[in-house]
Amino acid sequence: MPTTTASAAGTTVGNNILLRLTSGERDVKLKALRELKNQIIGNRTKKLSFLKLGAVPAVAGILSDAVSAVDVADDDENDRIVKDIIVQSAAVLGSFACGFEAGVRAVLDAGAFPNLSRLLSYTDENFKIGDFGDILIQRGCLVEEMLLHKSYMEVVDAGARSLKMIYQSKMAPKYDFLQEENMEFLLSLLNNESENVSGLGASIISHSCKTSLEQKLLFDAGVLKRLTSLLGGSLIQRDASLESIATIFKNNPEVVSKFVGPDTGRTLSCIIDLVKDRFARTRLLASLCLIVIRNASACYLQDVGIKTKLINNLLELLDDPGQVGDEASFAFSSLIAEKEDMQKLAFEVNGIDKLYNHLQKGSLHPRRFEGILLALADMCSKLECCRSRCLSLQVLNLVVDALAHDSSDVRSAACMCLRSVSRSIKNLSAGSFMNETIVIPLVRLLDDTSTAVQKVMGQTISNSFDWPRSVVFGWEAKCILASGCNLRGSSMPISVAALGAISNIVVDFTTRRSTFIRLGGVKLLVQLLKSMDSTIRLNALWALRNLIFLAEDKCKEEIFMELTASLLASLICDPEPSVQEQALALVRNLVDGRINSVEYIFAEDGIILDAVGRQLRIASKAEIEIQGMYVLSNVATGKESHKEAVMDQLLLHAENKAQSCIIKFLQSNDSRLRTAAVWAVLNLTCSSSPGASGRLVELRDAGIVSHVKNMVNDPCLDVKLRVRTALGQFTSFDDSLILCIFSPAASNNKASTSCLQFLTVRAVGELSHVVDPSSKQAADSL
Amino acid sequence: MSLFWIVIRQLAEIEAMAMSKKVITREEWEKKLNDVKIRKEDMNKLVMNFLVTEGYVDAAEKFRMESGTEPDIDLATITDRMAVKKAVQCGNVEDAIEKVNDLNPEILDTNPQLFFHLQQQRLIELIRNGKVEEALEFAQEELAPRGEENQSFLEELERTVALLAFEDVSNCPVGDLLDISQRLKTASEVNAAILTSQSHEKDPKLPSLLKMLLWAQNQLDEKAAYPRINDLATATLEDPAI
Repeated sequence: MPTTTASAAGTTVGNNILLRLTSGERDVKLKALRELKNQIIGNRTKKLSFLKLGAVPAVAGILSDAVSAVDVADDDENDRIVKDIIVQSAAVLGSFACGFEAGVRAVLDAGAFPNLSRLLSYTDENFKIGDFGDILIQRGCLVEEMLLHKSYMEVVDAGARSLKMIYQSKMAPKYDFLQEENMEFLLSLLNNESENVSGLGASIISHSCKTSLEQKLLFDAGVLKRLTSLLGGSLIQRDASLESIATIFKNNPEVVSKFVGPDTGRTLSCIIDLVKDRFARTRLLASLCLIVIRNASACYLQDVGIKTKLINNLLELLDDPGQVGDEASFAFSSLIAEKEDMQKLAFEVNGIDKLYNHLQKGSLHPRRFEGILLALADMCSKLECCRSRCLSLQVLNLVVDALAHDSSDVRSAACMCLRSVSRSIKNLSAGSFMNETIVIPLVRLLDDTSTAVQKVMGQTISNSFDWPRSVVFGWEAKCILASGCNLRGSSMPISVAALGAISNIVVDFTTRRSTFIRLGGVKLLVQLLKSMDSTIRLNALWALRNLIFLAEDKCKEEIFMELTASLLASLICDPEPSVQEQALALVRNLVDGRINSVEYIFAEDGIILDAVGRQLRIASKAEIEIQGMYVLSNVATGKESHKEAVMDQLLLHAENKAQSCIIKFLQSNDSRLRTAAVWAVLNLTCSSSPGASGRLVELRDAGIVSHVKNMVNDPCLDVKLRVRTALGQFTSFDDSLILCIFSPAASNNKASTSCLQFLTVRAVGELSHVVDPSSKQAADSL
Repeated sequence: MSLFWIVIRQLAEIEAMAMSKKVITREEWEKKLNDVKIRKEDMNKLVMNFLVTEGYVDAAEKFRMESGTEPDIDLATITDRMAVKKAVQCGNVEDAIEKVNDLNPEILDTNPQLFFHLQQQRLIELIRNGKVEEALEFAQEELAPRGEENQSFLEELERTVALLAFEDVSNCPVGDLLDISQRLKTASEVNAAILTSQSHEKDPKLPSLLKMLLWAQNQLDEKAAYPRINDLATATLEDPAI
C-alpha cells in the first residue's frame, strides 16, 4: 500500500536526522537540528512520529550540553556555533510543545524546562539587555558589538518563545508567585524590552494565577500597572496583557473594585476602545477583560452602550473563521449566562437569528458547534421570547441533529440547548416537543458512555434547583421504552444524565407512568437510589418524585412496593442535605391526595413518619424543614389517627413542649416555612373532624395557638391569609360551625375560598419545583 | 429678457429644488478643501507605511533620509520578509518555509491555514515540474494528514491533486492553480502573516483611505453635486454636472 511506503520513507528520513543529531561535529548537528525544526513546524503528524523516535530527549540533551558549553566557549567562532545550536534546539523543543500536549509532556519529561529558563537569565546575569543596548549606542560602539548583542537577544528570544509555548499548556509547572524572588523575576520579565520575554511574563500569569490570593499578590506587586502600560505596546504585548489582566480579575471582586476607581478610568476606556480594535483576537480579548470586570459585580459597566457594544462585537466575531470565531461564542455565553438583562439585549440585536445563521452553515468545527449551541442554551435559559424565536426558526431541527454528533462535547451542548428551549411551558403544553425526530436521538444518548455527557449530569445537578426537571416523566418513559430498558451496568449514571438533561421536553402528568413502571424503570431508579454517589441518589429521587406527582393510586402503590419504607426512611436521613430534601419532597408527593395515600407513611411501624419528625427537629436548612412540614401537613389531612400521629410528632417527641419545632418554624424568617407551618395547624384543627377541638386544646397548651394569633399581621400575604383562615377555624368551634376544608360539598361557606386557595397553592407549589424558578416566584406570591 | 425665459429659469430652479440636490461650485469646494489642514508629517507617515508594508526597502530607506520620517519597524526585517516573499514567487517554497521558520518559528506552528497553503504550493510546483512520483508521495505524506484535520483543506487538496489527472494541465478546470497568480496569492498570505507576527498591520493604510474616499463620494453623490475626483491617479477635481 502506498501509505506504508510513504510513512516508511518518512521513518528513514527521521532516523537519518536523529543519527546526525548525535554527530560529534557541531556543524552536522546544527544542520540536523534545523532540518528537524523545519520538518515538525506546523506538522502534527511529524511531531508525533519524531516524538516516537525519541527526538525530544535527544534535542533536550543537545540543549543541555550547549548551555554548559556556552560559558567555556574559547573563541568567537565556537561561541557562534554554540549559540546557533542553542537557538535551534530551543526552537525545536518549542515547536514540539506548540499545540501538542504529548509534546509538552515529552519536553518536560526530558528535563528541558530548567535549561530553557536559564536562557532567559542571560539577560540578567551576563547582560542587562535594556541598558546594554543603549550604552552601546551612546558610545557609538562597533558594529560587531551590536551584532553580539543581537545574538544574545536571539538566545533569549528563543528561550522565551519555547517557554511561552509550554506555558500555554495546562501541563506546564505552576509558577509560585508567593515567593518574593519569583515575583521580582516576573516583573523583570514584564519590563523586558523584548516582546517575547514580556509576552512570556504575561503567559506565566495567565497560566499560573489561579487563587484569589495570587490575584491579590500580583495586583499589590504592581503587575497590573505594568500590564496596563503594555496595552500601549505592540500587538503581541497588547494581546498578552489583555489576557493576563482578565486572569487577575477573574472572579475576584476585591481586585476589580481596587482597579475600577477614578484613577483607572483611562485604562478602562483603553480596554473599551480595544473592543473596536482592528484585530479580531484583540477585540475578543478586550471583550473577555470587560466581561470578567462586569461579572465581578453588576454595578460595573452599567452603560447600555457598552453592554450592547460587547454583545454586538462578540456576535460579529463569530464570523472569524479561525480560533477567535470558535471562542467568541463561549465569551458570549459567559457574558449573558444567568443575566436576564443581557439576554434581553442580545435578543434585541437579533442574537438568536445570528447564532442560527452560523448553525445553519453546517460542517462546523466541533468547538465552534459546541460554543454556538451553548450560546443558544444560555439565551433561552430564561426568556420565553428567545425560546419562541428558536422554535419559529426551527433551530431545534439542527440541535436534534447535533445530538448524534461525533463529538461528545457537541452532544452534551445540544442536550443543554434542548433543555433550555424546552423550558417553554407554553410549548411544552402544546406538545411541540413530542415527535419522533427528537425522541430517537435522545434515546441513543441513554447509552452514551462519554464522560462529557456525564459532565452534563454534573451541570444538570448543580443547576437542578434552577431548571425545570422532569415534569415530564412521560418523555423519559418513552425513552426507556424505546431503548428497551437499556439502562444497565456502569453506564447507568450516564443514562440518568441523559434522562436529566432531556427530562423537561414533555409535560405529561398522567399517561405513560404505567408503561414506565411495567418496563422496570422504577426498579432501575430505585437501584440508583442506593448509589454511593450522592448526586446520583439526588437525581434518581428527583425523577421518582416527579413520577409520583399526582399519580393514580395503583401507580403509587407499585412505586412504593419497589421503594420500600425503610429505604425511604434512610434517604430522609441521608448525610447529604439535598438528598434529604428530595426524599422529603418525594414523601410529600407520595402522601398527597386521597386518604389511602397517607397510609404509606405508616408502613413498617411508621418508620417514615418517625424519620420525618426526627429530621424536622434536627434539620438546619429551611428547604428541608419546608418539605418536612408539608409532609406532616399532608398527613394531617387524613383520618383521625393520622392527625394524632402528626400531633405526636410535633408535640410528644419534643423534649420540651415549649420548644416544639413548629413554634420555631412559625417564627422563621422564611415566609415559605411559616406558610407550611400554618398549613399544618390548619389541617390539624379542621373542624370537620371529631378530634379537632381536642387537638386545638393541645395546641393551645403548647403555646402554638397564641403564636398563630400573633401572626395575624404577617408581612407575607400568603401567611396572613392562612393565619386568618386558621383563626376563623379556631373561633368556629365556639360557633359550632362545621367547616370542611376538603369537602366540595361545603362550597357555600367562607372556608371554600380557602379550600380553593389551598388546592391552588399546593398544586402550583408542587409544580413550581419542577417547572421554572420564575413561576415558583409567582406561586409564592399567589 | 423675455418673460418666457424667466419662466423657464424659474421652472429649472424649482426642479432643482425638488431634487433637493445642493450644488457646490468648484470655488466653494476648493475653499472648503483649503480649510482642512493635514500635517505634512502625517502624509509622510502614510507614504512610509505604504513602502514598509509593501516591502520597498530601498525606497523606504531613501524616503527616510529625505523626509526624516522614521519607519515604525526595523527596516532590516523587511529584507527578510521580502526574501521569503520572493522565494514563493519564484516557486522555491521549501526555501521560503525554512526562511519563515528562521524568522519566527511560531508563524507556521500557529497558522495551519498558511502552512497548508505553502505545502499546497510546494505540491503545485512539483506537479509543474513534472515530478509526478515525488508529488504523489508528498501529497500523501505531508498534505493528506492536514486534509484529515480540516474539511476545507481536504477539498483544496483534492482540487490540487486533480492536476495530475490531466494531460494538458494548462487547459483543465483546475489549471488556474498553475497560474502565476496562485504563487502571488500564497506569497501575499505569507507576507501578511509575517507582518502580523511583527505586530504590523498586514495591509497598507493608503489603499483603504482611497476606498473610503470612493465610498464618501458615492454617499455624497446622492445629496449634492460637487467637484468629484474620478481619476484617482491624478486626483483632478472635475466640475459638477448640473
